[in-house]
Amino acid sequence: MQTKHIYPFAAIVGQEKMKLALVLNIINPTISGVLIRGEKGTAKSTAVRALADILPQIDVVKNCPYQLRKPHGGDICAECVNPDCRAAVEQKQAPPVERRKVRVVELPVGATEDRVVGTMDIEHALKKGEKRIEPGILAAAHRGILYVDEVNLLDDHVVDVLLDSAAMGVNTVEREGVSFTHPARFTLVGTMNPEEGELRPQLLDRFGLCVNIEGILDPEKRVRVMERRASFDDNPRDFIERWKEESEAVVGKIKKAIALFPEVAVDRKLMLEIANYCIEVGVDGHRGDIITLKTAKTIAAYEGRSAVESEDIDLAAELALPHRVRRQPFQDISTGIVRAGKNSKP
Amino acid sequence: MLKRAGRINYPFSAVVGQEAMKLALVLNAVDPHIGGVLVRGEKGTAKSTTVRALASLLPEIDIVRGCAFSCEPGNEAGLCELCGENTGSPPTSKRKVAVVDLPLNATEDMVLGSMDFSLAVTSGVRRFRPGLLARAHRGIVYVDEVNLLDDHIVDIILDAASNGVIVVEREGISVRHPSQFILVGTMNPEEGELRPQLLDRFGLAVPVVGEENPRDRVKLMELRERFDIDPERFRNLFADEDKKIIDRIEAARNLIGSVALSETARKFIAEICLANNVAGHRADVVMERAACALAAYNGRSDVATEDILEIAPMALLHRRREAPPPPPPPDHEHEHKHEHDEHEHDERQQTDPGEQNAPDPSPEEQGTRQPEPGEAESGDTQTPAPPDCASEKVFDVGDTFKVKPFSHEKDRRVRRGSGRRSRTRTSRKQGRYVKSSLKNPSGDIALDATLRAAAPFQKYREANGMSVVIHEADIRGKIREKRVGNFLVFLVDGSGSMGARSRMVASKGAILSLLMDAYQKRDRVAMVVFRKQEAEVVLQPTSSIELAAKMLRELPVGGRTPLSSGLQKAFRLMKVHLLKEPAAGPICIIITDGKSNVALGDGKPQDEIMRIAGNMLLEPRIKYIVVDTETSSFTHFGLAARLAAALGADYFKIEELKTRELIDIVMSVT
Repeated sequence: MQTKHIYPFAAIVGQEKMKLALVLNIINPTISGVLIRGEKGTAKSTAVRALADILPQIDVVKNCPYQLRKPHGGDICAECVNPDCRAAVEQKQAPPVERRKVRVVELPVGATEDRVVGTMDIEHALKKGEKRIEPGILAAAHRGILYVDEVNLLDDHVVDVLLDSAAMGVNTVEREGVSFTHPARFTLVGTMNPEEGELRPQLLDRFGLCVNIEGILDPEKRVRVMERRASFDDNPRDFIERWKEESEAVVGKIKKAIALFPEVAVDRKLMLEIANYCIEVGVDGHRGDIITLKTAKTIAAYEGRSAVESEDIDLAAELALPHRVRRQPFQDISTGIVRAGKNSKP
Repeated sequence: MLKRAGRINYPFSAVVGQEAMKLALVLNAVDPHIGGVLVRGEKGTAKSTTVRALASLLPEIDIVRGCAFSCEPGNEAGLCELCGENTGSPPTSKRKVAVVDLPLNATEDMVLGSMDFSLAVTSGVRRFRPGLLARAHRGIVYVDEVNLLDDHIVDIILDAASNGVIVVEREGISVRHPSQFILVGTMNPEEGELRPQLLDRFGLAVPVVGEENPRDRVKLMELRERFDIDPERFRNLFADEDKKIIDRIEAARNLIGSVALSETARKFIAEICLANNVAGHRADVVMERAACALAAYNGRSDVATEDILEIAPMALLHRRREAPPPPPPPDHEHEHKHEHDEHEHDERQQTDPGEQNAPDPSPEEQGTRQPEPGEAESGDTQTPAPPDCASEKVFDVGDTFKVKPFSHEKDRRVRRGSGRRSRTRTSRKQGRYVKSSLKNPSGDIALDATLRAAAPFQKYREANGMSVVIHEADIRGKIREKRVGNFLVFLVDGSGSMGARSRMVASKGAILSLLMDAYQKRDRVAMVVFRKQEAEVVLQPTSSIELAAKMLRELPVGGRTPLSSGLQKAFRLMKVHLLKEPAAGPICIIITDGKSNVALGDGKPQDEIMRIAGNMLLEPRIKYIVVDTETSSFTHFGLAARLAAALGADYFKIEELKTRELIDIVMSVT
């Protein structure tokens, strides 16, 4: 892990909306994820991987397969194999806790259902004659970020499982005569290329935010992209060193925003604005309203303000609504409808 | 970021609006015999939240202590086998009503129960380990996205729901135990409909839509925000309100036994059911029950007309059918999704038979005007004035509808891929594990079954450092099954004749309907259009249905009819696909009136078609469907029917493609 260098988040050129959406999700995980739609080679994956650089730290029981903060004594802890934790619990002590960065867990498109959900530990079953769960990707992603590249190509079975856990915040393992549930609350980050087909509406709705990105058209910026990339490939260590200050600035800003977030207040008038907005553009259900509000508050916190302003809502709506606007069957996901709705308002 | 250790449910009384859904759930809590609720609606309308909130409203139940099936003390008919053997009054205990979530990936084992593995290994005894449905006895089974649940599991649940008893016969165990529960399902119709049989099993169905009033929406955001910040405090805030509902349910439960239903009320119910042309009598029974429950919930012991009127929509929403004799024109089901209204008016005008402003009455139309029986076969050879010069026109997309289900027959071939149209056995380690078998061709070992097979013998086998000794004879393989999407090739007639009488409008509507169906089944599609001199593959095989729909909208009409070329191109496309995936079953949907006036060779076009069709029939892996666009009110050539016969195809008129079983529920949602 140490030898692999990650391109610094701060060094990504342009794509401000995408970067903002990702940062907002770090500050407030209840925004529940972001879907990044765009062509190939627009730094989608780079940005998500770069997140690892700027993520905050959390307390986790050492080596806990379920990323718990403390053992809660349920089924999953009873059958758990983590030796550090187990020994401590048997002696009625608190298990060792380590502080580590929030993780980005990748869900490969070809993943089979049993790897995602978890399955039975065959070796243990044969040696000891007991059944035991081998936790899957969803367990690893708890309290972290679940990253699905090419999310629209995901197998239907796996999508169903994802929907289930995203909706309930728990993952249920129902396999080979084993049954139990463990918490699985994660920020879902997906990237997709719309040319390959659209997402199912149900899954689309689970993504809090949605950004459409395109290649940069400004030649100068393109040159900068090439320069930075070349210099990173040349000598990653130096490159990261050079960007260290800016990366730390981002991390600092995120930290401040996390601290400030609980104090952010919203005026009732502004909430009415959100509601009218959503009715005007025609959004299915209420998730749009709720996410817009959360996003607006998070934006305010990121800007270091403790009160939401009208501009925050504009920006939040731009991120939270495009994929929720009611569409005709098979109509493309709009990119500009929110802004258009705003302009038409007096 | 992670404040709550356990999960706190959003309180029932804090759900803004959605009165019909809340009422339906409460009525079921008052009288579980109503038979469950199906909540249908768009995303993000508190469907799941409300159902989960219901759990905390239900009163505690008495159970036989230690009974794995939560038997009700004193109810002798409904006891499980173990409790039934025990005579005398067993010790009892109280517990909360269970809400059992049925995950979409549940297997048969989990739902029904299986052999207790640890016990079998340690003591060599086979004992039944109860499944989800046993836990749900006298509680709620909750299925989120019930329309995505596997058909097989749905069948099991339905069976249990209607019998109230589960019979398990597997792995040398035979068990019978009671399982009565309220089935609550939520679904989003965008993801496909439920089968009518399953729909009918749900006692009540309620549609949910978002609130339209901005003030309510603000209230909703405020409440949700407060809940997210501090769920515990929020729950306490609403504890009083919740308690009121709990008390009301409790009172209603005590009262319901004495609620009377007058003769006039019964007649009224029967009349409503007749007027709505419901199938069977379940609607009547459910309405009676629900009306009584509502009266009791309102603290009255007699059922008023208002009670019946209030619950009638819930009982009828999913059971109403079209009146049989003159089927009214199927209305725009997706009204709320439809683009603009003016658009639709245009279409109405165009489809109006009296209307003569159809775009340039092309030569073809004159051809159909003077029909002579003999011309049917030869009409195509003596082509009138070359219509190539006729202006091209792009027609609007006509009304869409729900199409009849079609798929390949299930066989024993194994296939790859994913989707939801045809069932198939699968060789990769994917798909639902349906059962285990003694044969194990794919190396996909059914560990559970293998261990269970070995378990009872462990006491007698020599353990060489292993705790489980498995002999060759114990090994079981998995048989998996999944649905795969098919490869659909649309072969569309784009010639000038399709412009006549707006045939293209209706055809495009039909194709779009098929595409919507294809989306729900996750098919791959391709489109071949034949017009002018030859056919053209306008859409290479893709899983992007959006692209197909876009192509369809822009599809121009005009020119002659090279059907032979079309058939050939489509056939070649499918053959190539079969080379890549020999086990795939492509479906070719031909939208045509069967006419052809451009041949590939020198022969008569119509003869050529029969010859090509004969050759196409030789490939057994392809299924053909012919959709005839000829309107039956005019003299009918029956050419499409002949083509269908030659291809061994299913033959439909456009209007026959529609499912007419139920009025589409989407309509009443808006």
